[in-house]
Amino acid sequence: MTADPHRTVTGFLDAFAGHDIDAAMSFVDDDVQVTVHGLGVRDTGAAILRPVLDDLLRAFPDLLVTVKRLLVTGDVVAAELKVEGTQADAYAGAINQEKHIDLDEAWRFEVRGGRITAVDAYWCQQQLYRRLGVKRFDQIALV
Amino acid sequence: MTATLPATRSAADHAAVVTEFFDLYRVHDVHGMADLCAINADFSYPPFEMWGKQRVLRADGKVGTVGKTIWAGLIHSFPDLTNVVHTVNANDDGDVVVQVDIGGTQQLPWGTVQPAGNAYAEPHLFLFRVGQDGLITSITGYWDNAGICRQLGHAEVD
Repeated sequence: MTADPHRTVTGFLDAFAGHDIDAAMSFVDDDVQVTVHGLGVRDTGAAILRPVLDDLLRAFPDLLVTVKRLLVTGDVVAAELKVEGTQADAYAGAINQEKHIDLDEAWRFEVRGGRITAVDAYWCQQQLYRRLGVKRFDQIALV
Repeated sequence: MTATLPATRSAADHAAVVTEFFDLYRVHDVHGMADLCAINADFSYPPFEMWGKQRVLRADGKVGTVGKTIWAGLIHSFPDLTNVVHTVNANDDGDVVVQVDIGGTQQLPWGTVQPAGNAYAEPHLFLFRVGQDGLITSITGYWDNAGICRQLGHAEVD
């Protein structure tokens, strides 16, 4: 396992982009701190991060993840991503209407000893819901 | 002929510029914020997206045009707008990554959100690029508008 934060995060993102979640999680520390602002996830543990990735691939089986920019600032790596896909299952409360999403996201990683020890994912859930045809935040399952 | 090589700026120098940027944002000094940026600095807020009939208004452009307009508008609608910087990470190349909460109490409409006197505080991730002359050349910001809308009592996606 490399101790280079850039290589660690690149390995994680390449594996996720290749839909290989086991390979992606091999770069993640068991006690990783996970924050996914759009989903209200704030918890600790690899078991928290894995379903976040699983849910994305389940709901958007053709998920395309493009890394636009990677900034390495010491042990912190920030990645700007373009995430695209076609909905095939319910996601974050939104029913499947086979809508296409394209979403700009930023993920901030902390890396220690070649393992990802913290992940903060930033995306706009309003943009996501807009693309999925959701009309109201308090009635997400209704369209 | 002699030439003077510019002093190399460190990660700490770059971080200090961005810290000052948020200090000025906190006191609503929009012109001061822009003065920390290069004249043609790039600006991008990907979550900013206003849908109208046959057009979508986005916040991609320059600090001097798009950025200043958005900052001033936000301060106008949220007169007590403030920020809390949590982390600042920089490298010697001038990349600066900032986690910051931005929030305030709504007094005037903001986009389609009508004021109900509610307040919000939302986590943001900012990515800056600072040049060797100490001026910011690029600002990119990410956050979740759904979180803001919910806090402000606005339930409609559009």
